[in-house]
Amino acid sequence: MLMGKEKIIPIIAIIFLLTGISSSIYVYATTPSVSSYNTGDKSITVNNQQFTIEQIFSDAQLRDIVTPDGINFSGVALDDLIMKTKIDCPLCHEYKIVAADSYEKTVTWENMQNGVLTEDGTAAFSDLAKAFRVKYVIKIEVV
Amino acid sequence: MNKTKLILGVILFGSLWGFSETILGTYLHNTSLPTGSIMTGVFAVGLMTISRVLYKQRGMQFGMGLVAGALRLFNPCGTCFICSAIAIMAEGLIFELIWYKLSLDLTELKKTTMSVSMGIIAAYGCFVGGYIVTQILTPLSQSAGFHIENLIVFIPQILARGLPAALIGGILVPVALMLKKVDIASVKDKVYYPLTATVSAACWIIVILNAIFILKVI
Repeated sequence: MLMGKEKIIPIIAIIFLLTGISSSIYVYATTPSVSSYNTGDKSITVNNQQFTIEQIFSDAQLRDIVTPDGINFSGVALDDLIMKTKIDCPLCHEYKIVAADSYEKTVTWENMQNGVLTEDGTAAFSDLAKAFRVKYVIKIEVV
Repeated sequence: MNKTKLILGVILFGSLWGFSETILGTYLHNTSLPTGSIMTGVFAVGLMTISRVLYKQRGMQFGMGLVAGALRLFNPCGTCFICSAIAIMAEGLIFELIWYKLSLDLTELKKTTMSVSMGIIAAYGCFVGGYIVTQILTPLSQSAGFHIENLIVFIPQILARGLPAALIGGILVPVALMLKKVDIASVKDKVYYPLTATVSAACWIIVILNAIFILKVI
C-alpha cells in the first residue's frame, strides 16, 4: 500500500504541475495581451455590429452607477447601447459580455438596465457582484 | 488527545486562517501579487498542514475551514461574502479529502519527493476547487444566474492561476513537516488554554472591528 502511495502521489503532483504549465501556455498563446488593450483605437462588437469607443460615447446615453461594493462607475448605459443596434424584444434575450482575456459573463436585460460601459472598456453593474465586472470588453453578444 | 485541547486547536488555526483571509487578503488584493495563490498556498494549505502535523487528527482541517468561513461571514465586505465563506469551507473539505488516506503520523511523507508532491497536490487542488466553487456560487446568488459556458471558457485561466499556489504548496508543506517532532500534547495546560483562547479572540475582535470600520466608511 505504501509503495502504491509512493508512486501515485508524485505522479498526481506531476499531472497537476503539467496541467498548470500547459494551461498557462495555452492562456498566454490564445489570450491577447490585456496590456495592449487600448480603448483609444479600440472597437467593440455589439450584437454583431462594430463600434469605436468614440462612437459609443457620442451616441449612447450616459449613466452613473454605484456597485454593491461602493465603487462609482460612469459610462454609457448598456441597455441604451443595445437598443442602438435595433434589437427586437430586448427583454427576450440574455447578453454575454466578453473580455479580451476570454473572461465572460452572461447577464439579463434587467442587469443591462443597471449597467454601464466605461471609457476604459469596463462593464459594471449596480445590481451584480464584483465577479460580474468585466474589464477589457471586446464584445457584447445577444444570446 | 484531550478533546477540549483539540477543539481549541481547531478554533485557533481556523481563526488564524479566517483572519488572514479577511484582513491580509483584503490588503493583498490592492497589490499586483497573485493574491488567491498566496492566500491558498501560504495561509490555507500552510495552516492546515501545520495543524495536521501538530495534532495528527483527521477532520480537524474541515473544522478549521468551518471556523475560518464563519469568521469571513463576520466581515460582510464585498458583494458575496457568503460565497467566499463557502469557498473557504470547500478548501477545508478538499484538503481533508486529499489527506484522508495518509497515516496520522505521516510516515509516507518522510521523503522530500513525497512531501513536495503532497504540497503541490493540496495547494493546487484547494485553489482550483475553491475557485470553481466561487465561480458557481457567486452567480447563483445573483439575479443574472449561473451559466456553465461562462465557467467553461474560464477553466484554462483557473488552471493556469493555480500554478503559483502549487509551487508555494510544494515549498511550504515540506517546511511545515519539520514540526513533526513537536508534541502539542506535552504543552502545559496553563500555557496552552490561555494562549489559544487569547490568540483566537484577538483574531475575531480584529476582524469584527475592521468590518465595523469599513461599514462606517462606506
